Amino acid sequence: MKFSLLSKPTELQLEKDASSKYLPVVIAAMVFLASLALIGLFSINSAISDWSGAISGNLTVEIAYDKNGDMDQRAEDAVAFLKTVPGINEVRTITKAETAELLEPFLGRADVIENLPLPRLVEVTVSENSALDLLATATQLENTVPGAHLNTHRPWLDKMLLLARSIQFLAAAIMFLISMVTIVIIVFAARTGMVMHHDIIEVLHLIGARDGYIARQFQDYFARLSLFGAVPGLIIAIIVMQFFTYLASRLEAGLIQPPSMVLEGWLALALLPLLVAILTTVTVRWIVLSSLKRMM
Amino acid sequence: MIRFENVGMRYGMGPEVLRDINLHLSHGSFHFLTGPTGAGKSSLLKLLALSHRPSRGLLSLFGQEVSHLEREDLPDFRRKIGVVFQEFRLLDHLSAFENVALPLRIAGAEDDLVQKNVKELLNWVGLGNQMNARPPTLSGGEKQRVAIARAIINRPQLLIADEPTGSMDPEMGLRLMHLFQELNKLGTTVVIATHDIEMIRRFRHPVMYLEDSTLHTTTPTAYLARFEGM
Repeated sequence: MKFSLLSKPTELQLEKDASSKYLPVVIAAMVFLASLALIGLFSINSAISDWSGAISGNLTVEIAYDKNGDMDQRAEDAVAFLKTVPGINEVRTITKAETAELLEPFLGRADVIENLPLPRLVEVTVSENSALDLLATATQLENTVPGAHLNTHRPWLDKMLLLARSIQFLAAAIMFLISMVTIVIIVFAARTGMVMHHDIIEVLHLIGARDGYIARQFQDYFARLSLFGAVPGLIIAIIVMQFFTYLASRLEAGLIQPPSMVLEGWLALALLPLLVAILTTVTVRWIVLSSLKRMM
Repeated sequence: MIRFENVGMRYGMGPEVLRDINLHLSHGSFHFLTGPTGAGKSSLLKLLALSHRPSRGLLSLFGQEVSHLEREDLPDFRRKIGVVFQEFRLLDHLSAFENVALPLRIAGAEDDLVQKNVKELLNWVGLGNQMNARPPTLSGGEKQRVAIARAIINRPQLLIADEPTGSMDPEMGLRLMHLFQELNKLGTTVVIATHDIEMIRRFRHPVMYLEDSTLHTTTPTAYLARFEGM
C-alpha cells in the first residue's frame, strides 16, 4: 500500500468537498481526548508503581492504648521481637511527639494531642526481596505484645490498585470508543466523497484507472487531513497535561501526584498522530475499494 | 473482434433496454450507430465501453469473453477502448493538456512521452494554443476536440464516439471525421453514434440502427433509402 502524503491528488478535487473540510477539527478533538486518556493510562501506571514500591517495603505496628499498661515497654518489646525476625531491615519506634505531629493537621495543637490516649506506633522496613511471612509474624507479634497489630497496608493498597486499574480500564475503553467514533466519521466522509465524485470516478474507470489508483487519492487526502488534525490535538493535550502537572505539584499532597510520564508513554503519544493517519488510510482504502466494487 | 450474442441489458430490476443484440464488428471496421432518441444507443455504447455488464448473453471484445471478466482485468481492456462522451465529461479543474494526458499517466507512461504525444495531438486537433486552458473557458467545439484527443491519445483498438461532431462547425466536424478515418486506416475499429444523416451520406460506412431495443445492421445505401422513404 503506497502511503504518499506529499503528493496531492490531481483528478479528484477532494479538497473542495464540504463533507471533509471540517474533518481535521473532529480528528483534533478525538486525538486530544485520546491523548488525555493515554496520559491518564501511563500516569496511573506510574503512580501504581510508586505506591506499591513505597508501601510494600514498609509495615507499621500499632499498639492499642491501654491505660493500665506500660506503653513504652510494650513498644520496646515489639521492637525487640521484630529485630529477631529474619528479613526485617530496620525497626524504629515512632515517639509520642512524632505521632502527635502527624495528627496535628487533623486534630489541632500537638502538645494537646500528646495528652490523648494515642496508640503507639513502630515503623518497620522490610529488606528488599525478603521472603517474610507476614501472617506468621503478625500472629507471633500479637502473642508477644498485648494489643499489638501488624499493619501491612495491603487492604488499602488493594483498594487503591482496584480503583487505579478501573480508571485504566476506563481510559482504555475511552480510547477504543474514540477510535470507533473516528472510524465512523471517516467512513461517512469517504462515502460522501465517493458519491460527490461519482462522475469523475466513472470517467477515470473508463480511461483505464484501477481501483487502487482511485483509492490512493482518497486515502492520501484523508491521511493528510488526519495528520493536520492529529498534531494540533496532541500538542493541546500535552499543554493541558503540563498545566495539570503544575497545578498538582502546587497541591503538595502525597497521593495526588502530578501526571508523570515514562518514556513508553511519550513514545505512545508521539506515535498517536501516525497511528491515526494509518487508521484513516486503512479505513478509507477499505471503504473506497468496497464501494468501487459495486461499480463496474 | 467484437461479438455480441443474444445480449440483453437492463438497469437494476427495470425492463430490458436492449434485447437480443447480435453483432459482429471485425477488426478495423467503421460503423455508424443510429436510431431514435431512447432506442438504446447510449446503453449499447456503455456495453462497448465496458461501463456496464450485459444482463444476459455473451459479449466478446478483442477475442475474449468479457461479460464475466474479473474486476482487476477490466482496466487493461478499457485502455484499449477510447470513448468520446456526448457531454464531453472533461475534468474542469484540469487544463486541456492534463485532460488529454490523463489516460497516458494512468497507464504509467513516461513524462517525456506524455509531453510529446499530448502536444502533438492537441496541435493536430487545432488546440495548440489552448493547452493550458481549462474546459470551462473553452467553447463547445473545443471541449469536444479535447474529449476526442483524450479518447485517442492511447491509440485505442476500439474508438466509440457519441455524437462527436454535434458541437462543432461543419469544417471542424469534417476534419475530425477525417481523423477518425485515419485512425480507422491504422486499424482502429470505430463506432460513431450519430443522428447526422449527412455524415452517413458523406462517409458511407455500414450503419447499425436501433429500433424497439433491438439492433439491425445495414448498408448506408439501404439505410438512406429507408430513411428517405419514411
